[in-house]
Amino acid sequence: MPPLRRLQSWRREMQITGVEKLEDCFDGSSVYCYHFDRPTTRPDILLLCALGRLEYFADFPRPFYRLVAAAGPQLKGVEGMAHCRVVVPRDGEERFRQELQALFSPP
Amino acid sequence: MTMESSWSHPRPLPDGPPPAARPTDAIYLNNAAEGWPKAPGVAAAVARALEQPPSSAGRVAGVSAGPAAECRRRIANLLAVPDPNRIVLTTGATHALNLAVHGLGLRSGALVITTVTEHNSVLRPLFLLERQQRVRIVSIGLDAAGGLDGVAFEQALSGRPALVAINHASNVTGRINPVERLFAMAKDAGAVTLLDASQTAGHLPVEPLRLHADLVAFPGHKGFHGPAGTGALYVAPRLELDPLVVGGTGYHSQSHWHPQEMPGRLEAGTPNAPALAGLAAAFAWHAEHSDPFQRCASAAGRRLRDGLRTIPKVRLFDGQSHTEHLGVVSFHIRGWPVEEAGVALLESFGVVCRTGLHCAPWMHQAIGSAAEGTIRLSASGFNTGPDIDAALAAVAKLAA
Repeated sequence: MPPLRRLQSWRREMQITGVEKLEDCFDGSSVYCYHFDRPTTRPDILLLCALGRLEYFADFPRPFYRLVAAAGPQLKGVEGMAHCRVVVPRDGEERFRQELQALFSPP
Repeated sequence: MTMESSWSHPRPLPDGPPPAARPTDAIYLNNAAEGWPKAPGVAAAVARALEQPPSSAGRVAGVSAGPAAECRRRIANLLAVPDPNRIVLTTGATHALNLAVHGLGLRSGALVITTVTEHNSVLRPLFLLERQQRVRIVSIGLDAAGGLDGVAFEQALSGRPALVAINHASNVTGRINPVERLFAMAKDAGAVTLLDASQTAGHLPVEPLRLHADLVAFPGHKGFHGPAGTGALYVAPRLELDPLVVGGTGYHSQSHWHPQEMPGRLEAGTPNAPALAGLAAAFAWHAEHSDPFQRCASAAGRRLRDGLRTIPKVRLFDGQSHTEHLGVVSFHIRGWPVEEAGVALLESFGVVCRTGLHCAPWMHQAIGSAAEGTIRLSASGFNTGPDIDAALAAVAKLAA
């Protein structure tokens, strides 16, 4: 079984249940909060490396992760929280969300 | 057990004020946006006001009873001005600054001098007047040492400004501006002077007569740790501003025209009595505890600034130790985009900070942080030594 598939099989599926547009100071940037149906776990976070460059700060009081996806979006959050923050180039949000959802709950 | 009495956080800073309610473990360092925790007694006063039948004493501007009158009296004491009726109660500093800028009735391209340190609550009302061709704006930048450019200011005064509007302290760097000297010069040049004391009220003495300020705007929810949606504008006796809003005042009701007397002239509609009750409680607490509170805020700010200066990879903006600052610091951490650092500080370490432009876009252009703003930590007298040390340790961990 390919490593990504194996990692996906170790964990429970996770659904994106809500998307919230966040305010920020800058024109043209798009910041969103994605809500999940359960708290994120370490395997969920490790899966993200399939999408780009992942950094995982396991030694923070609540482990922090950040992803720079190959297509440009950035995602960051904290293990154990049922949400993460996503910055996407204009008009790219829906596509990135679908990509993320497919990763967390493979068809 | 009340929330007030349940908090037993250590207070190693000398002569700290009595503890305030602190129902979470968050290390709150966003006091430049809103002071928290609220001053002891505020929540109870708001609740009491909501539980009692509304009193008409709060309806009529200028009467001597009720929370509005209590706030006016206390503010007049704080500002060391003799007449409480020159205090207009507002929904915050933004409302107060709009009242001041629009109420002066500037027109025909009047010259307004302001500075790059200003908040959008000053800049945007001015930009609106500029777009209507009612004013011309000259903005004073920073000198090589990071202070306001005094030479440029003197030169600008030769244009005979109608209004000089200056921030008492930057909400980005915490640098305190020399308003007493600048306003004295502005008065000599015949200008009306407007002080935005949003960051300093509650932390420093703000006395219009000593500072040569004709108009002073400040919020209730920052340095005084009162309820959000409260604030005030002091209007010097010789000035009569045009109102932004007219309507019910609870007196002179048979007239077609809004009353001219202060403060009702600039206050229309039913006041937010519960918030004013909370604000009066905040002022009452402040009157008793302002000295230790301000000492603690100052010590916390110094500790924060000095600590950040020692962390490798941290770039402190306007971090010199020889200049006067409030406990507001802005910085970058190499390797961490500003917004990302804010999320990590809050969600991984529980440190509540603010990231971005802090509604002061010109200041970021002036200090070289316009691209992504800054990470800002802002202390109050309720912050403890361990709060500051924990925040510094979190920043150091990110920077490691």
